[in-house]
Amino acid sequence: MAQYAADVRDIKFVLFEQLDIDGLITTERFNDFSRDDIAMIVDEGYKLAREVFAPSNEPADREGCTIEDGKVTVPKVMREPWKAFIDGGWLGLAMNPKYGGQGAPDVLRKAVDDMFFGANISLNLGLLLTPSSGHLIEVFGTEALRKTYCEKMYTGVWSGTMCLTESGAGSDVGASKTKATKVDDHYLIEGEKIFITFGEHDLTENIVHCVLARVEGAPAGTKGLSLFCVPKFLPDANGKPGEFNNVVCAGIEHKMGINASPTCTMTFGANGPCKGWLLGDENRGMAAMFQMMNEARINVGMQGAALASAAMLEALRYAQERLQGSHIKDFKNADAPRTAIINHPDVRMMLMRQKAYCEGMRSMLMYTSYAFDREQAAKDEQEREPWSAVLDFLTPICKAYCTDMGFRVTEWALQCFGGYGYLKDYPAEQYMRDSKIASLYEGTNGIQALDLVGRKLGGRGGGNAKAVGKMVSKVAEKAAGHPRFGELGKALGVALARWGEVSKGLGAAAAGGNMLAPMLGATQYLGLCGDMLMASFLLEQALIADTALEKAGVDPADAKALLAAARTDAEVRFYDSKIKTARFFFANELPQLEAKARSVTSGDTSAMDIVWPELA
Amino acid sequence: MKILVTAKRVPDPEQKVKVQGDAIDLSGMNFVVNPFDEYAVEAALRLKESSGAVDEIVVLTIGSKDVTQQLRSCLAMGADRGILVEGDDDSLDSEQTARIIKAVYERESPDLLLMGKQAVDGDNNQVAQLVAGKLDLPQACFAGQLELEGDASAITVGREIDGGMEFKKVPLPSVVTVDLRIVMPTAVKTAGSKDNQEYAEGPRYASLKGIMQAKKKKIDEISVGDLGVELEQWVKTTSVETPPSRSAGIKVESVDELVDKLQNEAKVL
Repeated sequence: MAQYAADVRDIKFVLFEQLDIDGLITTERFNDFSRDDIAMIVDEGYKLAREVFAPSNEPADREGCTIEDGKVTVPKVMREPWKAFIDGGWLGLAMNPKYGGQGAPDVLRKAVDDMFFGANISLNLGLLLTPSSGHLIEVFGTEALRKTYCEKMYTGVWSGTMCLTESGAGSDVGASKTKATKVDDHYLIEGEKIFITFGEHDLTENIVHCVLARVEGAPAGTKGLSLFCVPKFLPDANGKPGEFNNVVCAGIEHKMGINASPTCTMTFGANGPCKGWLLGDENRGMAAMFQMMNEARINVGMQGAALASAAMLEALRYAQERLQGSHIKDFKNADAPRTAIINHPDVRMMLMRQKAYCEGMRSMLMYTSYAFDREQAAKDEQEREPWSAVLDFLTPICKAYCTDMGFRVTEWALQCFGGYGYLKDYPAEQYMRDSKIASLYEGTNGIQALDLVGRKLGGRGGGNAKAVGKMVSKVAEKAAGHPRFGELGKALGVALARWGEVSKGLGAAAAGGNMLAPMLGATQYLGLCGDMLMASFLLEQALIADTALEKAGVDPADAKALLAAARTDAEVRFYDSKIKTARFFFANELPQLEAKARSVTSGDTSAMDIVWPELA
Repeated sequence: MKILVTAKRVPDPEQKVKVQGDAIDLSGMNFVVNPFDEYAVEAALRLKESSGAVDEIVVLTIGSKDVTQQLRSCLAMGADRGILVEGDDDSLDSEQTARIIKAVYERESPDLLLMGKQAVDGDNNQVAQLVAGKLDLPQACFAGQLELEGDASAITVGREIDGGMEFKKVPLPSVVTVDLRIVMPTAVKTAGSKDNQEYAEGPRYASLKGIMQAKKKKIDEISVGDLGVELEQWVKTTSVETPPSRSAGIKVESVDELVDKLQNEAKVL
C-alpha cells in the first residue's frame, strides 16, 4: 500500500491565505505563535502522522481490541505511535501552558487533527478525548482537582474519557440512572455507562472518567444531572495511581469500524465503593458538558472531513495508476492502448465531487474553529459577540454536514476503485467503515439538526442567523463585482436569499406554534445551510486563488495560458484547481439547495400521517 | 567539546522527479533535510545526551534564506545553534561545498565534524573526504556505530564494509560521516551511556517544545564573501534527462533463440 497522504498544501492555504491568521496571532492570547511556528508545527505533525501513525492504521484495524478479565488490550502496533505523540507533547498542543500545554490556537489543533485522524482515527480518538476531559476538570474542578489531574492529562501520563451514554439514555441523556451519594468531600458513584471510547485500555497507568450522574433527590431529566471526576485508581499523596476505585470494564463492543478504538461498557461501584468528585455545581452537569460540546462537535466534523480527504487522495492515486478501457478520443478504435481511469469522464466527475466537498468542509471547519479562537481571545463582549454568533450557528452544521458528506466522499472514493474498492486489499473500505461512526456519536446528526432549528436558528434573537447571512453576503457581493466571478456571485446571492426565506419560514412556523414543520424539515434544512456554506467558502477560495494567479504573473482570463502553466507549475496548478472546484460545485452540487428548500417548505406531513404495518 | 554537523536541503525523496527542459523541475517541490544529515544530527544529539562532554552542537547549511526552515527543524530536534552560508545550493559542486565547509570549520574549530555520508539528491559522496583532505584531518566514513572516549580525545567508529564491521579509533578533531545504521537503538555510545540504554530507532521527531524553543536559538548568516572563499565551478552540467523508460519484454520461442539474442543483440555472451 502506498504511503498515507494528507492535503498539506490545502491545509496551509486555509490557514495562511484564507483565514486572517495575523488577526489571531496578534491577540494577547496567541502572540507567542508566528506564521513560521504554525507552518513548522503543521510540517512536523504531518511527518509524525505519515511516518508513525499511518503505518499502524490497517494492522490495528485487523487486530482490533480484546478483553480478558476486565483488562482491555489495544492493538500492539498502536503503542509506538501513542508514545511518540505523547513524547512530542502533541497532546497538549492547544491546552493551558500552566498545566504543561503549549497554548496554541484551536485552529492549529484542527489543522494537525486533519492529518492525525486521516492517518489513524482510532488512535487519535483516545489522544483527543484525553485533553478534552482534562479541560472539563480545568474549567469546573476545584484547585485541588486541577493540581491533581490537569498536568497529568495534558502530558498524556493519564488518559481521560467522557461518560454520558447509558443503555436507556443515548440521545435522551436525561434518562440517566447512574447515581451519586454525597459522603464528606466526595460522592459515591453507582451505575453503568456504555459506548465509552477508550474507557479501558493498556496504554496509560491511570484513566480519568468524567461521568454524568444524578445526586440522590435531584430532579428528573437533564436538569438533575451532575458531572463527576472519577479516576480508575485513586491518586495517592504523591500523585501516583493508588487504591483501585472500582471502575470496571464489563465488556467491549464489536463494531463496523474504528476497530482499534475500544468502545467500553463501564460499571462504577458494582463491587465496592467508587469515589467521584463534583465538577461544577450539583445539577449543572449538562451545562458543563455543553460548554465542551462545541469543541467536541467541531472535532467530530473534522473526523468526517479528514477521512474523506484521506480516502479521496487514495482514489486519486488509484485513478492515475489503474489502466482500464480506452481514452474517449479513441472510442472508435478497438486496438487503442489502455488508459488510466482518471481519463474517463465519470471518474473525473466523482473525483471532482470529492475534491469540492473535501475542500469546502475543511474550509468551513477551520473557519469555525478560528471563530472559536477569536471568541476565546476577545478582549470584551463587543468583540466576542459576532464570533460567538457564527460559532453557535455553524457548530451543528460542522458536525452533521461534514460527517454525512464526509461519509459520502469515502463512498465515492471507494467507487473509484471499482470492484477492488470492496476488497480489504485496498484502503477505501476501511475509510468508509471508520467514517460512519462520526454521524452517530457526539449527538446523532438528527439531534444536530434539531439543535440547529430549535436553538441556534432563533438564538440571540435571530442574531446567529444574521451573522451567518452577513458572512455569506460579503463573499457574494465581492464575487458579483468581479470580472470573472460575477455569475457565481449572483448564484450565491440567490442561494442566500432562498436560505433567508426558508429560515424565516421555519421561524414563523415555530412562533405560530407549529413545531412539526421545523422538526420534519430539520435535516434537509441543515443540508441546505451546508450547501450554501460550501458554495460560499469555495467561492471565497476561488477569489483568493484568482488574485494569487495574477500575482504570480499568470493571466487568469487567458484559459490557454493558464492550462499550460498549470501543467508545469505546481502552485499555478493548485490555484487554478481552486477556481475550477468552485465552478464545478456551483454547476453540479449547488442546485440541490433548491430541492432541499422545496422539501423544507412543502408542508408535507406524510411521514407523520402514514400508518406503518406492525412487523411481528 | 563542540560538534559541527552539516545539513543539506534536498527535494523530498518521496516525490517524483520531473525534468523541465534542461533542469530538474523544483517548482512545488517539498524540501526536507537530507536523511543522512538528519542521522548525523541524531548521532550528535545522542553523543551529547549520554556523554555530558559535548557543550554545543552547531548545524551548518548552505543555501538561500528558504533553507532556514530546514535549519530550524534541526534546531527543533535539539541542536543548539545554526549557521547559514548564503549561496545557491543547487549549483554548488562538491569542491565548492567542501571549500565553504573548510572555511566554516576554521572559524568554529569544532572537535568533531559530523556529516551524512552523502546527499540523496546528487548522491556524490565526496564532500566529507574533500574537507578532511583540505583540513588534513583524520577521516572515518560510513559510521554505523560510534563510541566516544571518556576524555573526548578520540572516537571509535564502526564502519560498514562488505564483510561486516570494521572498527577504527580516530583522534579528535576528525571528520566522520554516518550511514543508515547509526540511528539503530544502541549505535551511539559514550562513557556515560547506561548499559541497557536504548534509543527509539531512527532520527527523533521534533517535539512541540523543541519547535517553540527553536525559534529562540541563534542562526548566524554568513556570505561566501565573508568567509573569503573563492568559488570556481569544477563540475559543469551539460544536460539533464530522465532515464529511458523500460520497454516491454518479449517471449522467446526456444532456448536457441534466447542464446542467439544474448549473443548477438545484447552481446553479453
